[in-house]
Amino acid sequence: MNEQRNLIVSSSPHIRTPRDTKVIMLDVLIALAPAFLASIIFFGWRPIMVTAVSVASCVLFEFGYRKLMKKPDTYGDLSAVVTGVLMAFCLPPTVPWWLPIIGALFAIVVVKQLFGGIGKNFLNPALAGRAFLLASYAVLMTNWMPASFQNVDAATYATPLASLSGGALSSVSLGAMLIGNVGGSIGEISAVALLLGGAWLVYRKVISLRIPLSFIGTVAVITLIFSRGNPHFMWMLQNVFSGGLLLGAIFMATDYCTSPVTPKGQIIFGVGCGLLTVLIRYFGSYPEGVSYAILIMNLTVWMIDKNTAPRRFGTEPKRPIRDLFARLGKKKEAAE
Amino acid sequence: MNKTLQMFKPGLMLLMVAAAAAFILGLVNLATAGRIAAIAEETMRGAMQSVLPAAAYTDTGAEDDGEVEAIYAAEGGGWVVRVTESGSQGLITMMVGVSSDYACTGISITESSETAGLGAVAGQQSEKGEAFRAQFVGQSGTVAVTKEGGEIDAISGATITSKAVCKGVTAAIAACQALGGAQSAPVVEAVGPSSEAVVVPADAGPGYVTLPSGEPSMG
Amino acid sequence: MNRKQQIFEGVFTNNPVLVQQIGLCATMAISTTLFNGIGMGLSVLIILTCCNVVVSLIRKIIPEQVRLAIFVVVIAGFVTIVDLLLQAFIPALSNALGVFIPLIVVNCIIIGRAEAFSSKNSVKDSFFDGVFQGLGYTVVLICMCLFRELLGSGTIGGGLLNGATSFFTLDGTGAGIRIFPQEYAAGILVLPFGGFLTLGLLMALMQHMLSKREARRAAKEKEDDE
Repeated sequence: MNEQRNLIVSSSPHIRTPRDTKVIMLDVLIALAPAFLASIIFFGWRPIMVTAVSVASCVLFEFGYRKLMKKPDTYGDLSAVVTGVLMAFCLPPTVPWWLPIIGALFAIVVVKQLFGGIGKNFLNPALAGRAFLLASYAVLMTNWMPASFQNVDAATYATPLASLSGGALSSVSLGAMLIGNVGGSIGEISAVALLLGGAWLVYRKVISLRIPLSFIGTVAVITLIFSRGNPHFMWMLQNVFSGGLLLGAIFMATDYCTSPVTPKGQIIFGVGCGLLTVLIRYFGSYPEGVSYAILIMNLTVWMIDKNTAPRRFGTEPKRPIRDLFARLGKKKEAAE
Repeated sequence: MNKTLQMFKPGLMLLMVAAAAAFILGLVNLATAGRIAAIAEETMRGAMQSVLPAAAYTDTGAEDDGEVEAIYAAEGGGWVVRVTESGSQGLITMMVGVSSDYACTGISITESSETAGLGAVAGQQSEKGEAFRAQFVGQSGTVAVTKEGGEIDAISGATITSKAVCKGVTAAIAACQALGGAQSAPVVEAVGPSSEAVVVPADAGPGYVTLPSGEPSMG
Repeated sequence: MNRKQQIFEGVFTNNPVLVQQIGLCATMAISTTLFNGIGMGLSVLIILTCCNVVVSLIRKIIPEQVRLAIFVVVIAGFVTIVDLLLQAFIPALSNALGVFIPLIVVNCIIIGRAEAFSSKNSVKDSFFDGVFQGLGYTVVLICMCLFRELLGSGTIGGGLLNGATSFFTLDGTGAGIRIFPQEYAAGILVLPFGGFLTLGLLMALMQHMLSKREARRAAKEKEDDE
């Protein structure tokens, strides 16, 4: 049996590349490093603890499930590590140590492995884990702490998003948002670090710019047109640079198996994410909508892919309107 | 002849089965109706006792305006109001006790279909539920959650439910004020005993009834 | 008919919820505390058994054309009787289950068994079919309740055990035996989502066991052939 494996017969082109899942995941981890660094600078030791627990439990659950089900190991491809880091990045730094374990159990076992493991999950595991935790432990999941260089009262601390969802500009300066001197989830605070990571991913061709640009662009355009604060431009910038928008647009919405494969589909996906994000931020009961927006759009990926598949070479182009007229004409002929 | 019988047989059979079922149901209903009514009565009385203890309650005949469904005057002053508000999952029916100086003396949620673990806490016999309901004692005028400038701490994760309960209490107090104003006399003496009743003991059970019943104070 | 096989089918290989996949709605909606689960399970068991017996009794005289209508009348009759009795004698259960008791009328398990089994089999067999299928339903409900209640609120036997006055109570006030503090409980499991998740996991487990059993049998047959 094993000997046959060396002789894979496939159609051309026969190109070999050293890039496998592990290399791509390693690139993602490198890209996440600046944001991790920023969180340690601004929140202290807590992000290290939360991320370590999250990663360790993700890998452990992945390993344990595959062993239990007698399936080939996949923990070596680092995808569980990336899931662990991303899930930790969308938790507040104050969460107790056991919370990421429960999130990891749901993310890895229920969302990822029960549906067949890497490449077969239909939801982003990290975000699904976060949604599970938010619905179960609403109080723990919205317990924010200010960044260490912020001069605010810790007892009544609220993130910039809380103020935005109340319809008022946040008092946090734009500069603080850019470097990350602001409260929020572990990995989302520093816009510059996240953009740096995004640039690395684009440079390494791990992601294309279609989803992040259309996602962020949609949020920017809508918040500028339907601004709730004055000056409008400031309102738009605060909406773009606060909360999990950059983290979600660069690292989560671009997840290969939960985003469309066609270029046109990716744009539709990004625009949909942006639209839902603003709708949830404006009208929802939670201040942040990025995670739910991506999860909802994850569910539409099959539909987007199906309807944006490029035309096969040699087949008739689809012209729905002309076809309709042609059919009507035939009916008329038949009637006469 | 035979053919006609064939035609009617299914219908006749159905009729017979339905008639038999109806007969048996009638018997069961006869046997249980009294008990069910007694239980409903007892539940309502229990809820009234827990929000404003009194020896007797009389229906003031106030009209059902879709929010305030009924107002019962408690013997010895004050009212118990049955209010229905729409919560996050469906209607919430509650009993609100209002003293004769228009302060809330307690609330009891008699029916709700709020989400278990979140909104349902409002009506539960749990520590959290008791704490939530206890906040309403002594509130008057417009009752609101802290987020909207009031004094009621909303149940975490159940802002809509908490707001609905606040709205119901506000409506109950307003209805009593309208009623009291129209009668022009929540008599001064009545304030005495009922203001004591404002402090509802945590275990206000049926045994508590005796307190405000005293002698006919209007005499 | 072999009773042993009948009980095995009812609880395991032909379980109404996990294998026939009927009567799911109420299963997901009410399986949040043990009190609800046992109450609902026993209500269905009693109604199913009574309906099976009556349908089997009259199976030879009811005309083919109106059989479904007659089944529905019989079922609705028994459901209403149980509903009234619960309201009168266990009001707490009636309150907790709410609309799901009257909704047993349209529960596919009962009309399904009437059509598939009791309208073709003897009264005795139908009686046992009702008991065993009802048992299968109750077992699944209890499993779901235990899972959801334990992980979703940290207790076991909510509404039923550890009442204020006694160990066992029927007035629905039992707080349940606390296994771990409420703050650690994943509250989403007692929400509708938890119902879907739990039912899905149970079904997957059941399919896993059934397919294993099937494989074992196939292997054995192959061995016998050789």
